[in-house]
Amino acid sequence: MKQKKRMSKLILFFVVVLTMLNIISPITKAEAKEKVYQIATDITFAPFEFQDVSGDFVGIDMDLIAAIAKDQGFKYEMKPLGFNAAVQALESKQVDAVIAGMSITEERQKKFDFSEPYFDSGIIMAVDSDNDTVASYDDLKGQKVAVKTGTEGASFAASIKDEYGFSIVTFDDSANMYEEVRTGNSVAVFDDYPVLAYGIKQGNGLKIVTDKEAGASYGFAVSKGQNTELLEMFNAGLANLKASGEYQEILDKYLETGSEAEEGSGFFGLLKESFPSLLSGLKMTLILTVVSLLIATVLGIIFGLLRIAKNKVLSTIAVIYIDIFRGTPLIVQAFFIYFGIPAALDFRISAVAAGLITLSLNAGAYMAEIVRGGIQSVDKGQMEAARSLGLPYGKAMRKVVLPQAIQLMIPAFINQFVITLKDTSILSIIGINELTQSGKIIIARNLESFQMWLIVGIMYFIVIMILTKVSNVLERRIKNGQA
Amino acid sequence: MAKLKVTNLKKSYGNLEVLKSIDLQVTEGEVVCLIGPSGSGKSTLLRCLNMLEEVTSGEVVVNDFNLTDKKNDINKIRENIGMVFQHFNLFPHLTVLENITLAPVDLKKATPQQAKEKALELLERVGLKEKANENPAKLSGGQKQRVAIARALAMNPDIMLFDEPTSALDPEMVGEVLNVIKQLAQEGMTMVIVTHEMGFAREVADRVIFMDNGYIVEEGTPQEIFGNPQNERTKDFLNKVL
Repeated sequence: MKQKKRMSKLILFFVVVLTMLNIISPITKAEAKEKVYQIATDITFAPFEFQDVSGDFVGIDMDLIAAIAKDQGFKYEMKPLGFNAAVQALESKQVDAVIAGMSITEERQKKFDFSEPYFDSGIIMAVDSDNDTVASYDDLKGQKVAVKTGTEGASFAASIKDEYGFSIVTFDDSANMYEEVRTGNSVAVFDDYPVLAYGIKQGNGLKIVTDKEAGASYGFAVSKGQNTELLEMFNAGLANLKASGEYQEILDKYLETGSEAEEGSGFFGLLKESFPSLLSGLKMTLILTVVSLLIATVLGIIFGLLRIAKNKVLSTIAVIYIDIFRGTPLIVQAFFIYFGIPAALDFRISAVAAGLITLSLNAGAYMAEIVRGGIQSVDKGQMEAARSLGLPYGKAMRKVVLPQAIQLMIPAFINQFVITLKDTSILSIIGINELTQSGKIIIARNLESFQMWLIVGIMYFIVIMILTKVSNVLERRIKNGQA
Repeated sequence: MAKLKVTNLKKSYGNLEVLKSIDLQVTEGEVVCLIGPSGSGKSTLLRCLNMLEEVTSGEVVVNDFNLTDKKNDINKIRENIGMVFQHFNLFPHLTVLENITLAPVDLKKATPQQAKEKALELLERVGLKEKANENPAKLSGGQKQRVAIARALAMNPDIMLFDEPTSALDPEMVGEVLNVIKQLAQEGMTMVIVTHEMGFAREVADRVIFMDNGYIVEEGTPQEIFGNPQNERTKDFLNKVL
């Protein structure tokens, strides 16, 4: 009876947490009343989109869409997912549109409908500010060049790499790409002009050495044949803004004067300034860890028991589950659950829900093996003694074997706790704002990648150390209480 | 009347046949000791009597219930068959008292209060009443085995199976355990005991069964087996151990 009560309490707890995270009542609520367009964007693409010191997303794209929405009178919700995730979200119809400084290319036009171009970009090459040897494409022979995935700079570099004989290293965000050049791993970077110009103003330590190559234009994208009314409103709004001069004002705000560079804030200034958003990221990390581990524990016990069941069908089911989730990388699972399944079955799921499901299923597979190992390391005589007294298998398992197995499992469980906590960082890839993602977002603004990753690393380390120590004390208590 | 009847019992592990056609009857109140060299199949036979080992073919009937018939609830039948193991198999996460009351309370044979009273009574019988709230880890081997006997008795079984109950004990602790078993024999408990203690078998058994190589080779009263063994293998074995 006691256990049943505890179980129902546990379930209640899940429901409360899930509701708090706003998973159970996702998008349908908003759609019922007035259409709120879900617009995905990049998070680290200054000056088009980036987070300012107070944690708000700002940039040319952000100001532009806000002004157009106001002009045309529609509502939207901005989803900063990261560029790749945003494009995939649009492909899988998780969002209605993407505005992310996205170049209009032929390939993309096969899948998406684009607005009128709202910005004409261009590509430019930069090198380390101390570098005096590379001044033109000819100097790149035999060297490495850094680019960011999916940017015009990347396609331009690819188009000339054979001609000038250099190789390409690809990165997922600008800060890492600049760091690559600063550390000398690559000699130069090709990037979209406005982005690079913003970075240099922020003091990224690079300098521009070539003239701007004419590039394609940026467009606002919707899925092919979908949300045509949104596209029309965007075009109409853009025309109005251009006519009124507001469009130019927005561009000037970011490109002419640039955002004010943060001066000499130093490590502690940086820490102080970024701490609130890192702390909220850490909170998300901890919620993800704790909730998914609770679910994983339940899954682990169920599948661990199935795994050792005499029934071949049941044990095969458990083996398949365990093998799939241990045999594929977490990042692939996250993409599959967040983009793949919803696209195939035509529904939407929030990133946090998808993240929780992914982590729970992944950790559940490892927990199942921990449970199996724990049970199998309990002396066989224990089960026999319990059965010889007339206890049925289930009762013998619950009253005699599991209590002993759990003790043996504690160290492995703590280990899994630490692993899962670190694994949450992988979920930044689907745009969940946990600790790593918070760090990435801040770096996109201030480009202080070394110091920021140091801070983020220290935060992970401290939390994991505290949890490990607490767990060890707990483990000792349990052992002493029963030895 | 046969309390326990084994007919043409066979048991194989893969290609290895460890029990080859065993027939055995035990009547109410009888004490049967199984002796024989290691690997002769005596422990396996004992474990087949409460289905801890699945039998390959043949029948085991206890109190008129056929254990090999899948329709019969094996858990119910086991409630009446107590078993004591070589390595005690006490539950280390429970106290001595909880070890004894777990099954009666969980299977609704007794209220917690009744089970506790009965457990204390049994502990007194095996001379360990003062250890009721102790952890099994704190007991000596002999004490552990006496608790294990009390645990088996708590279910009020009418047959007791002992699987080499003194083999894991230091010599000085063998006596205290054998005394408890002797006392049970005197009270008329039906028992099957696998043992290497020949003196004990001679003293307590109504019938001694000598097993070798998966067969019952010879059986008879202790006087017959120990005093005048007929089979060459029995003679050979007894010469080595006595």
